Order: sequence, then C-alpha cells, then structure tokens
Amino acid sequence: MLVLARKLNENIIIDGRITVKIVRLDKDVVKLGIDAPPSVPVHRQEVFDEIQRSNKAALANGRCKVPILPEHH
Amino acid sequence: MKCAESSVAEQSELTETNKGVIHLPMGLLGFEEVKQYVLLGSAEETPFLWLQMVDNSNLAFLVISPAVVLGSYQPDISDEEVAFLGLQNPVDALVFNIVTVHPNGPATVNLKGPIVVNRHTLIGKQIVPQNVADYSLRHPLPSVAVAA
Repeated sequence: MLVLARKLNENIIIDGRITVKIVRLDKDVVKLGIDAPPSVPVHRQEVFDEIQRSNKAALANGRCKVPILPEHH
Repeated sequence: MKCAESSVAEQSELTETNKGVIHLPMGLLGFEEVKQYVLLGSAEETPFLWLQMVDNSNLAFLVISPAVVLGSYQPDISDEEVAFLGLQNPVDALVFNIVTVHPNGPATVNLKGPIVVNRHTLIGKQIVPQNVADYSLRHPLPSVAVAA
C-alpha cells in the first residue's frame, strides 16, 4: 500500500481524474473531499461490510416457508 | 437461516419452468465465488422468489421485487455499472432485493444492496447505489390490507 503524507488542503490525484483533498483535520477525524467522475462509485467501506454481513445472514439452507406478510386494516 | 429442504419433485418442477441461469460475474458481496443462480418461485410464495445457487441447490436467497416493498424506490446506478450490465433502457433492468428472515423478529428487506439483472442477457450485479444512504438495510416487509 502506498502511504503519502499530506497537509491540510493538499490533494492526491488518482488516475488523472479522481482528486482526494484533505478538507479538515480534527483530533481523530480527517475530512476528505473526493472529486470523481459520475462513473466512479465512491462509498464508505462500512456500506460494503454491512451488505456483506446482511447477505451472509440472509443465506437460506434449502427453500423453506416464505414469511407471511404483516397485515393492516 | 436453516430450514428443511423442499422435495426433489417440487424442485425439479420449478427448475423446469425457469431455465434461465442468471450470471453474476462479481458474485454477491461475501459470495464473490458464486456466479450462477436461478430464480425460482411458485404462486403460493408470491411476492417472494428464491435466488438459488446453481452449483449448490441447497443454498438460496429469498428475494422480493422492491416495487412491492417501497413504491418510491429508485436506486441510483452509476454509468459504469449501467455499462457493465449493458442496460440501454431502465425497463431492461430486473431489480430485486434480498430478504433476511431473523430468528427472533419479523423478516426485513435489504434496500442498500439491490441485485440488478439485465433481463435480456441475464447478467447481473449487486449494486451499491450512489444514493445508498437514503435506504435501509433492514426495511420492513410490505403489509397486506385485510378487511376490518
């Protein structure tokens, strides 16, 4: 993994089209500004992790009775 | 979730009616190595369907069309993913979401990670929409109206 030291308001450019800027530095929080073309999805790692956990929890061992939909009046 | 397997006769009957194999070249998140699935269902199971692994027919995900879960659901899919799926038109996309049956409590629908399939090529992908923050990982199942 490439590790770069950056100061406030300094940038990193990836592939000539994605800019990552250090917007703010707090004690233990770094705020990043990411400029990427609309074709490049940018997400927090946690989103992938939670979908992965959800998929694993949803895996069914054999087809069983499907849930009954809740009723309303 | 564990439950009894359905009978072989029932399975083969359902498989007969749905020969199309869905290819997920990137798998599902956490199941990246499993790339081939079939979509199975029966009238009694409506509105649910099963996304069953081709190589391991004991394993399946319960899925549902988001249209019956949240009418306003509009996952924002990136241009790159649209190109990957070869979608020319929104109607080319078949979208479904995975249902989790919790051991204690009602089942929920994952609206953060829809599975989008090109209905012509049957190539699909689990997408993390650009507007993922607008949707719940554990959205309640739709309710059905009953006479008072």
